[in-house]
Amino acid sequence: MDAQPAGSGRIEVDRVTKTYASDAGDIRALDAIDLDVAPRELVTIVGPSGCGKSTLLRCIGGLIPPSEGRVLIDGEVVTEPDPRIGYVFQRAVLLPWRTVEKNVLLPFEINGRPTPENLRSVHEALEMVELGEYAQLRPAELSGGMQQRVAVARALVTEPSILLMDEPFGALDAQTRDSMNVELLRIWQEAQPTIVFVTHDIGEALFLSDRVMVMTARPGRVHEVVEVDIPRPRTFELVESDERFWSLRHQIRTALE
Amino acid sequence: MSRSVKRQRPRLPPWLRNEKPLGRILVVASAALLVTIWWAWARTNSPLILPTPDAVVIRLRDYLWAGRAWPHIYITVQEIVAGFALGSFMGIGLGTLAAEFNIARRVVMPYVIITQALPKFALAPILVIWFGFGITPKIIIAALIAFFPLLENTFLGLTTTPALDLELFRALRASRRVTLLKLRVPHAIPAVFSGLRVALLLALVGAVVAEYVGANKGLGALIIVSQGMLDTELMFVAFVLLTLLGLTLDKLHGLAYGLVLRRLYGKTAASAGPASRVSV
Repeated sequence: MDAQPAGSGRIEVDRVTKTYASDAGDIRALDAIDLDVAPRELVTIVGPSGCGKSTLLRCIGGLIPPSEGRVLIDGEVVTEPDPRIGYVFQRAVLLPWRTVEKNVLLPFEINGRPTPENLRSVHEALEMVELGEYAQLRPAELSGGMQQRVAVARALVTEPSILLMDEPFGALDAQTRDSMNVELLRIWQEAQPTIVFVTHDIGEALFLSDRVMVMTARPGRVHEVVEVDIPRPRTFELVESDERFWSLRHQIRTALE
Repeated sequence: MSRSVKRQRPRLPPWLRNEKPLGRILVVASAALLVTIWWAWARTNSPLILPTPDAVVIRLRDYLWAGRAWPHIYITVQEIVAGFALGSFMGIGLGTLAAEFNIARRVVMPYVIITQALPKFALAPILVIWFGFGITPKIIIAALIAFFPLLENTFLGLTTTPALDLELFRALRASRRVTLLKLRVPHAIPAVFSGLRVALLLALVGAVVAEYVGANKGLGALIIVSQGMLDTELMFVAFVLLTLLGLTLDKLHGLAYGLVLRRLYGKTAASAGPASRVSV
């Protein structure tokens, strides 16, 4: 899997507002959000539940249109789901009647008849998430963490320049989540996509990201964007022995209160 | 995926601890009890009212041996199979249309409800007038009664696809047709099979009752003939044959569903696959 060409995978979120009509009047889920993400950058979005972080991600991915403002990918306005974007959801969303291999093949199959080359990409993607030997099993035979790795492979298989991840490891136990985060950084180094990662876990956000966007709820607003100047490559020991980690953690936690 | 929590069970001898043999034993025991009650009751009655079980078994054997049962079975099976096929086709087709197009649902559903509200057996006499005493009216009645559970279950199966699965397909820019074929249809299969099971047994009921109204062959016709001749024993022979026929059809449905599940879910069919079919 080759690295992305330089300069692709830029995201510009330009005063994006999203309102929903409800019985009690309009609800402002997102209020004039601005965010620029550079190619190959890893940005996380943290915030309390209901602050609109998933809504923002769905706007970036073109799954829902913003009420005001716009999202640009590499300078083009997003109006619908885009092939340059790979998605990982809160659940793995694997089709239980398909083998692991066929699940990862799905993005190709949906857009036409898969080629032998596509199948090679599937195996590369499965190797990348270290599930090469499990290609012929069905999702029910895998643990929760392995299922979510299959979902990551499915998102990566088309070599998107952008990966949008919506609390992908939120349902996993703490140890599994830690090892998934380490793996995600390794995959990010290998495939070099731009990643926008939504989480409510401050530690996870700091471990992963170049920058953390902190949001507040009702209406969903950007509270601040925090630079994480902890050196890479990161391990949990290194990060947690770094006092910047603790001071940033304190800063974000205070911001969220 | 998930290991089931071990339930505390009372200390029982090993042959009682396992549910499967225990279930079998209970089935055989309760059947024996019922036959005994039947037998005891029949002894105190005239055979015109209630023949004894042994008399029915002997009569059934003779009847089969003489080769007189097969034409009736053959006709009834034909009606059931044709009615079930026609009803399934209509039910799955209309259910899919209703799930895919709101306008189809609005136009078709009133007519569907009318066909269900009208007692279908009330139609049998007019169908006999139109189509005669052959198998056609029976097939129509069987199909009319069989199609509704399929329409319901097909609609239910196709419209309960999890929201996140649909979002995934949207993110992957799947067309409506691809989403239907690769996501919603496979998701609907257990519901459709559950509808097929009900439809199969309803087709049997439909065929037999339609035969009551006017038929010269078939197990339902046999019941009417035996009533005319006050031959209660023969009537019970028909009951037994109908019961065996129903059990066989249901078993065939189970086998077909098992095959489909194994094809879709491989060796996870039993655990991951929605194997929820109340088995006999």
